[in-house]
Amino acid sequence: MRRHCSCIVSVCALAAAFVASAAGQDPRLARLPPEAQAPVGALVDSARAAGLPAEPLVQRALEGATKQAPGDFIVAAVQRLAIDLGRARDALGSSASPAELSAGAAALRAGASPAVLTKLRRARRQPVTMPLAVLTDLVASGVPMDSAAAAVLTLAARAGDADLVEFRRAVERDIALGAPPGTAAAAAAADAAATAAVQVNARAREQRPGRP
Amino acid sequence: MSEHDEDVIERVVSELRRPVQIDPAVDTRVMEEIARLPVRRGHGGLRAARVAWRWLARPRAISLSPLAGLGIAAVFAALVLALSGRWPGPPSAPPGERATREFQFVVVEPHAARVSLVGDFNDWDAARTPMRRMQGGSVWSAVVPLRPGRYRYAFLVDGRRWLADPTAPAARDDEFGTPSSVVTVGSS
Repeated sequence: MRRHCSCIVSVCALAAAFVASAAGQDPRLARLPPEAQAPVGALVDSARAAGLPAEPLVQRALEGATKQAPGDFIVAAVQRLAIDLGRARDALGSSASPAELSAGAAALRAGASPAVLTKLRRARRQPVTMPLAVLTDLVASGVPMDSAAAAVLTLAARAGDADLVEFRRAVERDIALGAPPGTAAAAAAADAAATAAVQVNARAREQRPGRP
Repeated sequence: MSEHDEDVIERVVSELRRPVQIDPAVDTRVMEEIARLPVRRGHGGLRAARVAWRWLARPRAISLSPLAGLGIAAVFAALVLALSGRWPGPPSAPPGERATREFQFVVVEPHAARVSLVGDFNDWDAARTPMRRMQGGSVWSAVVPLRPGRYRYAFLVDGRRWLADPTAPAARDDEFGTPSSVVTVGSS
């Protein structure tokens, strides 16, 4: 009996030691400036403990390291992203995927309100990664947030991801041709909504080459 | 009623009226019997808890195979992993977001000696995805498999010059002073 117990305790101790070493700091963080490694590691651990995806935080830190940003810049950027991921999770719900949370965080950073994220989640049964990304991209193209949000919300319920990408390209094309960004977004949304209403299956559309 | 019946009733009544002789020691004997009964202290719930604790604390001999021991250790390790957040905890990607698609990145850089593609998909490691010059011309290309999601990326020319993708949306949340672009991979 004692032998069995000691065996179990030993195996458990070994397992715990293995887990403890595995749960240590991400080795990729060694690329950061020394002063940023511990703070970023703590932020990553905190995010993980809160159920938030840690990989976007690691990637943001690595981006800063590769771009040779100062340590405090990197820590601040990771901290901001962690806060945005938390806000995105609050708006999208705890079932949101890491991709959705990343896209949601970017949309919030671009100026979208949490209410817009929540409306998108309710309006669409498919993942909301693409609508959120298109929303962010439209704002980056100069479309006012209100116009961009209204357009994306109009399309979110029925348009597939490919349709949303096509919609974004149409807006960018019209802007490049001189249309005011808000007007371009509204017009393209009306066209896309009409197309989506006609097409029963958006996937039947010819696949376009994979380009951003 | 006959005379005989009256006589019988009279005898029964007289018998019942006769004083009964009780042993003077009966009280003592009854009290002794009561004292011998088990004493009940406290409430029923407390007593049940005491019995349960005694059952739990009583040493037992348990025989366990090494395999079962390893199983218990595995469960313990899984529990620790889950608590530390390393296990596939929430949120996890749905099946539709796990499939990868190949994306081609292209940039025109006629005077570059080398161009690297760096982004969220390769740990921003300039050595990981060198771009290939197409047919010896000025166009550089790289193909990367991507899962659905939003990725920030940029081109690093000759190891020192950052370049955003002119054909892709710009990253608004750039915080390090160099341009980046965004690619979003849909799930449908």
